[in-house]
Amino acid sequence: MHIYITRSMFIVVNPGAELSIYRQIMRQIVEAIASARLQAGEKLPSHRELSEQLVVAPLTIKKAYDELEALGYIETQRGRGTFVSEKLPKVDKSDQLDKIEAAARQLLSLAYLGGFQLPDIIKILKDLDRELTTAPVRGKERV
Amino acid sequence: MSSVLEYVGVSRSFKGVPALRDVSFSVGEGEVVGLIGRNGAGKTTLINIAIGLLYPGSGDVRVFGLSPTGNPVAVKARIGYVSEEGHLRGGRTIRELIAFHRGLFDVWDDKVEREILDRFGLSVNARISRLSKGQRRQVGLLCAVCHRPDLLLLDEPASGLDPAARREFLEAAILLLNREGTTILFSSHQMTDVERLGGRIVLLDDGKVKLDRELDRVREEMFVAIVPRSSVPDAGTLEKIPGCLRVRSVRDEWHVVVEGADEDVHQRLKSSIGHNGIPCVRMPLEEIFIELVGGTRNKEIA
Repeated sequence: MHIYITRSMFIVVNPGAELSIYRQIMRQIVEAIASARLQAGEKLPSHRELSEQLVVAPLTIKKAYDELEALGYIETQRGRGTFVSEKLPKVDKSDQLDKIEAAARQLLSLAYLGGFQLPDIIKILKDLDRELTTAPVRGKERV
Repeated sequence: MSSVLEYVGVSRSFKGVPALRDVSFSVGEGEVVGLIGRNGAGKTTLINIAIGLLYPGSGDVRVFGLSPTGNPVAVKARIGYVSEEGHLRGGRTIRELIAFHRGLFDVWDDKVEREILDRFGLSVNARISRLSKGQRRQVGLLCAVCHRPDLLLLDEPASGLDPAARREFLEAAILLLNREGTTILFSSHQMTDVERLGGRIVLLDDGKVKLDRELDRVREEMFVAIVPRSSVPDAGTLEKIPGCLRVRSVRDEWHVVVEGADEDVHQRLKSSIGHNGIPCVRMPLEEIFIELVGGTRNKEIA
């Protein structure tokens, strides 16, 4: 498995998945930022480092970084590298709440269809929260 | 972006059987282009024409602006080539083979040579005849890149390799991309490899270019709609949908490949078929490939 793993970040790509590779990378970096595993001002791996680690074309990494930069999550400092933005993009809270509600509705429908109850879901959410907010441990790979 | 390799209206037949029909596309400097298509679609013929191993029957091919058959030495000095067969000629051991290839070129990068030998764990004393399929391909890559080519042509470089050997080959290719920014045209049946190397894809179908697109556009702006034949009896109606690339008959359904932005495609389907609720999904590259060139039961709509 080709993964990029550090104290603050965990990236894995799956070329056969529905989402294109650059979007998979974007999503995982945003997740790391959102869960504060990646802190403002923290340095991101170089295009080359990530490209060789994940075995994907350097241009794919560049595209993911460019889009993240355009969205305001990261910034490139000439000659120094790429860093998590000090000022993260403001998200419209009510807009975000709508999205969360829609996702929750879908989540619950899936659960009920499978015969699961609310407590099962709460347990999954708690586990996921722990997983997303604590740093991955080397040697204990999650997939 | 200046073009490193250019095909203009290239056709070629073998004993009267057309292998390529009016193929035109170009590969720009620093681009990585994946050539895909079924067996016999013309991929190898196209690559052989770029190397100057074959003449185009008609049309024109330019490599660095030169004709590969008119200026064979100038062109070959700047290209690297790894074939599916992995022929290795010029020595009994890896050392002899390297010496032979080194003698062919003005430039030879010892550092790249060392790096590839180390990376693949190859010994220069190893006999060529004793190498595994994967190792032969690795040596092939070594011989193809040490003269620092501006264009790398890889004809199914990973076919027949086990998953680990395939990945190692891919790692070496990515390393080169990072280090040299080499322009690459490669053919492959492994859609996941195509995704990893990224860039653009050119899909050949029966000797013709069926599709030439950025990979990300294929991934994000191509949809497959499943239409019951009971609701649309005639494929012609579906073929008229703007952006329709293919209608394929699968049992009692039509599989319709439509290109465009998400909502746009849904709108076009709706106005063509007259009602909503047609399942229309994004698919992984392999599925798109099958939808575009896979077999159909109804010959007339192929």
